[in-house]
Amino acid sequence: MNTQNTILSTRNLCVGYSGKEILKGVELQFKKGEFISLLGPNGAGKTTLLRTLSKHLKTINGKVLVNNEDISAMKQERLAQTMSVVLTEKVKPPLFTVYDFVAMGRYPHTHWSGRLEKKDDGVIMESLTMVHARELVFRDLSTLSDGERQKVLVARALAQQPDIILLDEPTMHLDLKHRMEVMSILQRLCRDKGICVVASLHDVDIAAKLSDKVALVKGGAIQAFGPPENVLQDDAVTQLYDFSNASFNRMLGTIEMKNSEKKGKVFVVGGMGSASVLYRLLAKKEYHIFTGMLHKNDIDYHVAHSLGAHCLVQPHIDKFSEEICKWAKEEMSQCDWVIDTGFGLEKVNGDNICLLKDALAMKKPVLSLRNGQSREHFTALEYDEIHFLDDECQLVDEMETITFKAT
Amino acid sequence: MTTTAIKSSGTMAFRRKVMKRQNICLAVVGILLVIFMAVNILVGSISIPFSEMMDILLSHETTSTKGFIIWNIRIPRAIAAGLGGAYLAVAGLLLQVYFRNPIVGPFILGISSGATLFVSVVMLSTISLGFTMLNPFMCTLAAFAGAYGTMLVVLSVASRVKNGVTLLIVGLMMGYLCHAVTSVLVAFAEKEKIKGFVLWQLGSFSGFKWTEIEIMLVAGGAILVLVYFLAKPLNAFLLGEDYAASMGVNIKLFRMLILLSACALAGMVTSVAGPVAFVGLAVPHMVRLLFSTSDNKILIPGTILVGAMVISLCDFIARMVFSPVELPISAITAFFGAPVVLSLLMKRRVDI
Repeated sequence: MNTQNTILSTRNLCVGYSGKEILKGVELQFKKGEFISLLGPNGAGKTTLLRTLSKHLKTINGKVLVNNEDISAMKQERLAQTMSVVLTEKVKPPLFTVYDFVAMGRYPHTHWSGRLEKKDDGVIMESLTMVHARELVFRDLSTLSDGERQKVLVARALAQQPDIILLDEPTMHLDLKHRMEVMSILQRLCRDKGICVVASLHDVDIAAKLSDKVALVKGGAIQAFGPPENVLQDDAVTQLYDFSNASFNRMLGTIEMKNSEKKGKVFVVGGMGSASVLYRLLAKKEYHIFTGMLHKNDIDYHVAHSLGAHCLVQPHIDKFSEEICKWAKEEMSQCDWVIDTGFGLEKVNGDNICLLKDALAMKKPVLSLRNGQSREHFTALEYDEIHFLDDECQLVDEMETITFKAT
Repeated sequence: MTTTAIKSSGTMAFRRKVMKRQNICLAVVGILLVIFMAVNILVGSISIPFSEMMDILLSHETTSTKGFIIWNIRIPRAIAAGLGGAYLAVAGLLLQVYFRNPIVGPFILGISSGATLFVSVVMLSTISLGFTMLNPFMCTLAAFAGAYGTMLVVLSVASRVKNGVTLLIVGLMMGYLCHAVTSVLVAFAEKEKIKGFVLWQLGSFSGFKWTEIEIMLVAGGAILVLVYFLAKPLNAFLLGEDYAASMGVNIKLFRMLILLSACALAGMVTSVAGPVAFVGLAVPHMVRLLFSTSDNKILIPGTILVGAMVISLCDFIARMVFSPVELPISAITAFFGAPVVLSLLMKRRVDI
């Protein structure tokens, strides 16, 4: 492995509090300009690991190396010139302007009296600019919103001119806008300044999209460490958080929520992305979803699969095989409703329209989101049987009225 | 880049303006302090004409009654009051910064009651530890040991709970305990000893000897210099120990220095003047609001001057209002200080 750019690393590190081991055998290597996310459930030891990397906690065993130097032998001040932190603890010093607060970051660079030179002033203003918080400079710290405060905290860490910034849950308590803003600021610190950013995060989806490397922390060890593209497999994430009613999909880059399937079976005939939103809605309303026939490259397949729907899927893009058509018909016969999502009617998809015609023949209630010309594929007789609707919500409401009539 | 440069110089100019305002504030407080101390020397229960006063001051004449009053009663008292106020206020500031808690002070954490307990042991009990005479140094030593012992107990608990409210309760309990032991000692003590102790307990800056003042000046002055050198790490402590450590502060060393300094200052004043309430708690707040900053580099000199000024004024009131009866200094500090702090807080609506 190329160790030339490695700035922070651990050797057989064991971390914990007062002799109680929380993580063992931690071997990590962080390079300049990398964005590293620590992922894992609450209480797994992310914060403990960060506090050990920052020398707030003593190691139980092993070493933490900054630029190949053991931090336990480093003077606090010299470490502070290389590494800064953003903690979760609320800082509320009274009568502090944002400027004063960020200026505290100059601590390891000023002499005993802490006097700020012109150079320091430049660094402070540049730090504030980098986090888009320049206009806050004369505001009192206690008047800031959570999002603004978080940016100022990052600016203080930046004013230390570090090579490494450690952040403990930097996006906690932030709204979506500030969450994205803080994350993109952090990413830019890596790209533009070459700073190594290590952050513990809870949003797997954001972490996957932003970080260069992720470390999965669980069960007293680092489960995996590497690029998110390799590490964040569907199962790895699902296991990491012990999801019982949700699942992670690395292609969608997001988490889908499963639900109990107590409201009865519904067969969705979809494809080419026409059914994804509907799947989520049906899962939310607690329907048991069957769907088909899909090709494996279809986004509908990925969503349905993550939601735990029963999928009839064909791996290669071609006309559906007779076998799969037969299975689909069988499963459809078990269902209480059949839904037509208004999928496109290309050649490879053609058999799905036959499936709908079969459903009508079986006297199943068929609901359709199809509009315009493509409705002409049904005969006039079939047309009268189908409940045509404009959107997914209306469709689900309509399903409930049909049940009502049936009982 | 050019806009950055322009804006940067803007902040520098702003900071210069703030610093100028703070320096003016310091100067005004300094002048007021000098005036109050002068009044304390010039005015007393025995009126001395101004011309005679000047003669006595300039010729350093101590043989006449008036000369004795000026040189051995009024001047030592004025100086002691000033020093006492300054030291207590700085001790309060140090503890408030360290605990990041605005309502701590030497009194609330039991430092003063610890000192009281030890002083009561020395003054009231028959244990003389080999000394035949009641030595003022013994008293000072006892108060220092009391203050230091209480602080150690509070700290050992503090390191375990790390919760401000718990810590205050611990301080309160220490106060009750010390008070209980003190009251038992009072019950068994001889009458004439009790009077001396009760007078000591009321707190007063009267009866200071020049030797005591010399010790206070040298020892206290040295600590104040040390404290001023601690201004930078103290500022870092405002963000909490974790941030301070991450910025390069040697936590263990500075924690000890801060607490020992606070303890030494509070114990020193308590030992010679008795427990003087409120100054350590209130003056730092007044100074913060007056200078509208939390920067300890400004707060430390500010606290020294304002603390000395407040006590000088309070001592003057204690001496003069019902002259020749003297009021306990703690009563005056509380009477005047508490409303002042409350009104300052209400007016500024600052959440400290």
